[in-house]
Amino acid sequence: MIHARKETTGREMGEEYAVLTGEAAGQRLKQAEPDAGGVVPLWHEVPSLPAQAGDYYGLALLKEPVWIWSVPAYFYVGGVAGGGAVLAAALHGKRPLRRLAAWCRVLAFLGTTVGPALLTYDLGRMSRFLNMLRVFRPSSPMSVGSWSLAGTGMVATLALLQGDRASAKPAHLATALGGLMVAGYTGVLLGNSANPLWQDRRRLLPLLFISSAVASTAGVLEMMPLDRKEEGVVQRFGVAGKAGEAACMLAMEHVHQSTPEAAVAMKKGKGGVLWQAAKVALVAGILVELVPGRSPTKRKISGALTTLGAVCLRFALLETGRTAAREPLAATRPQRRKMGW
Amino acid sequence: MTTTITGFFTDTSVCIGCKACEVACKQWNQLPADGDFFSGRSYDNTIHLEATTWRHVAFVERGVSLSGQSTARPFSWLLMSDVCKHCERAGCLEACPTGAIVRTEFGSVYVQPDVCNGCGYCVVCCPFVVINRREDDGRAWKCTLCYDRQKEGMEPACAKTCPTDSITFGPLEELKEKAKKRLEELHRRGVTEAYLYGMNDEDQPGTEGLHAFFLLLDRPEAYNLPPAPSVPTRGVGGSWGAMALGLAGMVAVAVAASRAGGEKR
Repeated sequence: MIHARKETTGREMGEEYAVLTGEAAGQRLKQAEPDAGGVVPLWHEVPSLPAQAGDYYGLALLKEPVWIWSVPAYFYVGGVAGGGAVLAAALHGKRPLRRLAAWCRVLAFLGTTVGPALLTYDLGRMSRFLNMLRVFRPSSPMSVGSWSLAGTGMVATLALLQGDRASAKPAHLATALGGLMVAGYTGVLLGNSANPLWQDRRRLLPLLFISSAVASTAGVLEMMPLDRKEEGVVQRFGVAGKAGEAACMLAMEHVHQSTPEAAVAMKKGKGGVLWQAAKVALVAGILVELVPGRSPTKRKISGALTTLGAVCLRFALLETGRTAAREPLAATRPQRRKMGW
Repeated sequence: MTTTITGFFTDTSVCIGCKACEVACKQWNQLPADGDFFSGRSYDNTIHLEATTWRHVAFVERGVSLSGQSTARPFSWLLMSDVCKHCERAGCLEACPTGAIVRTEFGSVYVQPDVCNGCGYCVVCCPFVVINRREDDGRAWKCTLCYDRQKEGMEPACAKTCPTDSITFGPLEELKEKAKKRLEELHRRGVTEAYLYGMNDEDQPGTEGLHAFFLLLDRPEAYNLPPAPSVPTRGVGGSWGAMALGLAGMVAVAVAASRAGGEKR
């Protein structure tokens, strides 16, 4: 009897021949025979590659980050939420700035609500998002961050509901405390990895994320209608953030000189373009703000440019990390140098 | 009940590149196929360890002979069966936010498939090219050091099938003794380039030693192994410190900015 060729299971093993109880029997397959995932080209005519001294056929020595767009999007949203939470607490009780404080509370609430949704969207098993709160692991910045984000989400909701009444102070302070963690931990999260590009910049990344969080929050607020007093607050907050972000981005590039192999990734491909775009938008935002005269249009353009720059920066960090992971020498050469070779 | 810490000692000097370990692993663990293709890199069409490939044999054809070996023209093979190293301090384990990755009673590092939610953080925290998240499955997978077989008192499938005993399995302390003897033997025979990779804390302080260590005949890079891998959490204190500093700055900026408009009520 001739069987019609059925769709392959990838295991080529019918249940009638074997019971699937192995460790990996539960692996779900959409594509039974994937290509090599773009790691190597699929050649029909095979040129034989001689092995090069110093690496293994130029193949990657580290896995690329598997995160999708929603993770850098979260990095941005979380930054805005953190900045909003801190500013809301600082503005609490200042009557003329009630409207601005309310917006900050909304930003903190939205960021800590949309943020977890974005992170969940990246998960391979979305239904298991609550497993993030299954244990607390201080050695994992992601665990610390998950707890911070969940906690901040709760107190930010409370702060939003309580509004600007005096009794809301504890909620505002708690939100600010959580917001600080949310704004900062993402930098540690990237720095605490085996990726050479991020690892070499592990002391800079938190500073970059924090200053960019301040700039991002100011960027969003600048795009809203503000009176003179509110504008004063937002601009002061923003100037510090943007200056800090620019300084950190410069410093990030300065590390290039000590690890040229990883740094190449910052100039190559999609990541390189995004990094340049982030730089240009940030500087343009600062320049627009320096134009003399007070006008809402000017402020809004500056805010939009800052926002664009901050978003590009987050995506650039992920993309350049991907590129760096593909380069084996970026991983081995710095290790050799540390060994004194 | 106490169990002994077990591991792998992979002696690459006797590996013949038969890939039986790859097949045995796939078969026992019922891992899916990786697709057919030729990589053009000697006989290595597996390319790397993956979510669906837990043993990988590396092939290098070298134009130099191994010392202590006589060949008509300078030539030698480097063959190595690579595997998850089950580090004493594992980057993936320390990074896992769900507690899916655990240290088993045999000292191995195990990903619990019913807990892993596929956050992908272990992937960037592994200093080797081991653990990965398979896109269609969504979870992270790697070598389990045949946790299921070990619980039944059996040795892992790859070690069981290895025809030359290049892969040996056993109590870690015994393996270390065995490895040292083998190294002495090779050195005595004139294979002076042989050395042990990642056996002890002193050999590899970054991971505090591997539970799956190797005897190699060339620099680690030749086998796509990092020369001095380090678990990411080493020295991450500076990163947290920088964060604290930055956050103090953020608070100061917010307070200063809020003074710009309006007096206290």
